[in-house]
Amino acid sequence: MITPPEISWVAIAPDLALAIGAALVLLVDVQWKPAPRVLGWLVGAILAVGAGLTILQWEQGADALASGDTESLVAFSGLITMDGFAIFSRFVLIAATGLGLAAGWRFVVSLGRRGAEATALVLLATTGFSLMVAANNLVMLFLGLEVGSIALYVLAGLARERRESEEAAIKYFLLGSFASAVFIYGVALIYAGTGSFEILGIRQHLNDFVISSPAVIYIGIGLVVAGLGFKVSAAPFHTWAPDVYQGAPAGLVGYMAAVAKVAGFAAIARILLTAFSDLADTWLPVVAGISVLSMVLGSVLALVQGDVRRLLAYSGVAHAGFIMTGVVGGATDGVLFYLAIYAIQLVGAFAVVAVVSGPDGAGSSLEEYRGLGRRSPLLAGAFTILLLGMGGLPITSGFVAKFGVFTDAWAQGYQWLVIVAVIASVVAFAFYIRVIVVMYMDDAGDEQPLRVGPERWVLALAVGATILWGIFPSSLLDLAADALPI
Amino acid sequence: MLTALILLPVAAAIVVALIPGRRREIHLPLGIALSVMPLALAGYLFWVFEPAAGFQYVVDVPWYEPWGIAWNLGVDGISLPMVVLTTLLVPIALAASTTITNRTKEFVMYTLLLEAGMIGAFLALDLFLFFVFFEAMLIPMYFIIGIWGTERRIYAAVKFFIYTAFGSALMLAAIIGLALTYASQEGSASFALSDLAGLDLSVGTERMFFAAFAIAFAIKVPLFPFHTWLPDAHVEAPTAGSVLLAAVLLKLGTYGLLRFNLSLFPDASVDAIPIMAILAVVGIIYGAVVAIVQPDLKKLVAYSSVSHLGFIVLGTFALTSGGLQGAVIQNVNHGLTTGALFLLVGMIYDRRHTKKIADFGGLQKTVPLLAGFFLFMTFASIGLPGLNGFVGEFLVLIGSYPALPSFTVIAALGVVLAAIYLLWAYERVFTGVPDKEENSVLSDLSGREIALLVPIAVLIVVIGLYPKLLLDKITPSTEAVLDRIVEQTDYTMPEPGRIGDVFVAGDE
Repeated sequence: MITPPEISWVAIAPDLALAIGAALVLLVDVQWKPAPRVLGWLVGAILAVGAGLTILQWEQGADALASGDTESLVAFSGLITMDGFAIFSRFVLIAATGLGLAAGWRFVVSLGRRGAEATALVLLATTGFSLMVAANNLVMLFLGLEVGSIALYVLAGLARERRESEEAAIKYFLLGSFASAVFIYGVALIYAGTGSFEILGIRQHLNDFVISSPAVIYIGIGLVVAGLGFKVSAAPFHTWAPDVYQGAPAGLVGYMAAVAKVAGFAAIARILLTAFSDLADTWLPVVAGISVLSMVLGSVLALVQGDVRRLLAYSGVAHAGFIMTGVVGGATDGVLFYLAIYAIQLVGAFAVVAVVSGPDGAGSSLEEYRGLGRRSPLLAGAFTILLLGMGGLPITSGFVAKFGVFTDAWAQGYQWLVIVAVIASVVAFAFYIRVIVVMYMDDAGDEQPLRVGPERWVLALAVGATILWGIFPSSLLDLAADALPI
Repeated sequence: MLTALILLPVAAAIVVALIPGRRREIHLPLGIALSVMPLALAGYLFWVFEPAAGFQYVVDVPWYEPWGIAWNLGVDGISLPMVVLTTLLVPIALAASTTITNRTKEFVMYTLLLEAGMIGAFLALDLFLFFVFFEAMLIPMYFIIGIWGTERRIYAAVKFFIYTAFGSALMLAAIIGLALTYASQEGSASFALSDLAGLDLSVGTERMFFAAFAIAFAIKVPLFPFHTWLPDAHVEAPTAGSVLLAAVLLKLGTYGLLRFNLSLFPDASVDAIPIMAILAVVGIIYGAVVAIVQPDLKKLVAYSSVSHLGFIVLGTFALTSGGLQGAVIQNVNHGLTTGALFLLVGMIYDRRHTKKIADFGGLQKTVPLLAGFFLFMTFASIGLPGLNGFVGEFLVLIGSYPALPSFTVIAALGVVLAAIYLLWAYERVFTGVPDKEENSVLSDLSGREIALLVPIAVLIVVIGLYPKLLLDKITPSTEAVLDRIVEQTDYTMPEPGRIGDVFVAGDE
């Protein structure tokens, strides 16, 4: 006899708010055909409600975590948790959504009647990923992943008048589905090996029993990491990233890349560090290998890109490698801090791209940035700070983030990984600097200042966060340190 | 007070930033006026500084406690002269930049931010904080070279950036390693220099960390195999950039070796004496020989830096009183004389728009004042007795001799070579008959230019005639460094290793 799962409205309140909000946006659009402005306020309100509910969850979760009461943090018969880790990641996702939509708002408006669809898709994608980071069950995690990913595939193809956008969507969809299949196969093997889908159940099983033939589990872990590695564009699963970043509508790429990275890494960290912490000796070298490959490949390939979006895509590969060093380091706070920082910077950087190459434009050759320092000094200044932040220059938050994950990895005994990582960071500087050179040290062909729309708020926030958390990182670091997985 | 010293230039940069861009004419004067404030504060600091008290005016505010990083500042006899030098040269460098007409506002801002970074790096007693300043100052310098430099400026700026960033990346890894070793030994996290200096490290680890720090600083100095970025950066940089680069930024390398390598890794430092001494001497001779054949006046001064800084490294790793005193005082001297030489080259360039030595000749006739100042600075750089260079080089040589006699003898050749390349350059540029039309119609130094050079010249003479003024402040700190090394290692100082004391005592 099947017992219906008990319902915990608190655990899914923010996700529910976002999902209902998505439906609301579509209904309102059909019924009243509101002006873009109204739609904007509506989405803003939905996101604010989602963020508010997330903060409420944090208050509740913090008490339960502090009292060591893991029971009350798991809801829906073990499907969903509301531990600090989930809530922190969820908040980052919602924040990135707000910023990402603001950055892409001109694109949404330019879609006309389809703008509401785009907004609803964005909200649904965030819902999916938000469930994914809160999943305590691998099947639940897969469902969240698919809800989010499918929405992203559609978003990549939204500018369907352009061939690049279609190409990006198809490529993303085909490779993404393949990665999902790999992931679910891995989940099946893990189930075969441990008899459980639940993160906590798997950990319990590995704790209680000596596994006589662990190969099934090992392969399962490998496939799961490969599937998620695709989502976060870690090498060697990164090949889709440059084309998708380049083809998808400029305004939304930042959002798409940021949420996929946040959710993917949250899932990787949760699965590896919670479920399979006992098998760390097995997966550590593999993850370290992926990390090195991503850092080296990403940094070196980014050097030769002539297109800012492709450059940011490859830099994203390198960042995936840096975040992996945090996973190797075994501390979730380093990973979470890095994710939060990087998500904001990424959305900010693509807001600049959206301004420079137009909201739905394809490509963004480095040439377009020539002399930007003269054309639009503030825009160029913001981009410079964001790039340096991504590069990890001290007094930006990027440095604190890198420092955190490197320290964790060193403490874990992976000194060689840290040395490779610091050298990769220098190489990474070289290409960020290249963009800055073009912006400041060459004369502009076109002196006309660029028109900046709502992107300015995104940039102000992103730059502010980059500098403030670079100088006073403790507020966010403390939160990240409290955001422990169960 | 030290915090104020760092924040003043930042505040000044913000003030300049707030002035609207169209009011071009006031950015530079305002920047100069504001940059005098840190100078006044540094002068006061110099006045009230107690030589015997070790680190003073220490500020220690936790920054992020779980990691043990702190806003930890302090000044001692080694950093004090550098801070004063920095604050002195920034207004001078700014005042020498009237030829910069495009994007003046940004130029002033970057220079002031650079000043804050340099002062911060000299004052930081927390390794994390030091690293932050050390890296952060790359960006303003990078922009100064890259935007206001000459033709190949971008190449030079990127080369400068990548070289330095590479070195400091390794240093970052070593800093992380050190802090984690401390955490595992003591159970609490800290990046404070005083905490980390007391660590027990295995021989291998200590040597590795020493190497990481040494490479970072050797690139900055730059020591011989790492020097190739320097001539490019200097030649392409605008005058103010060259002055600050030579006078202060490079000193971070020698300062870092003295402050961090010697006190964090005493054993490895003692073991590394031969290597560092060889690199230093090779740098001295190589820099001098290459300087002789330079056709470009600015490049000549740049290579002379490579040579002179070799002396500082030699003195540092001689590990004797005289050597260390000489190293610190030579840090100041080189900053003054080379800074002034770059100023003068800049002034010549402003008049003739060329730096090629062959384009000149007989300038003495047309610009006697400029020639006079150039000759004066040349003498100071060569180390004529009575001027500052003599004191520094003499101390270095006399301090190094007991420890490293053969190296010292070779290094002394560098002094002779310096006389050759500088005087020969002077001869080709200034003496003779002005046989080229353009050279006979140049205007001599203006009042503003004289006002820039006179303070430097006065300091050169003061240090040359009365080095006690500086040595009194420096000596207790350098002796403390030496005492630590003697105490922590089985290093025995060669007799008469403490000759510097005799020198100071005899002066009284």
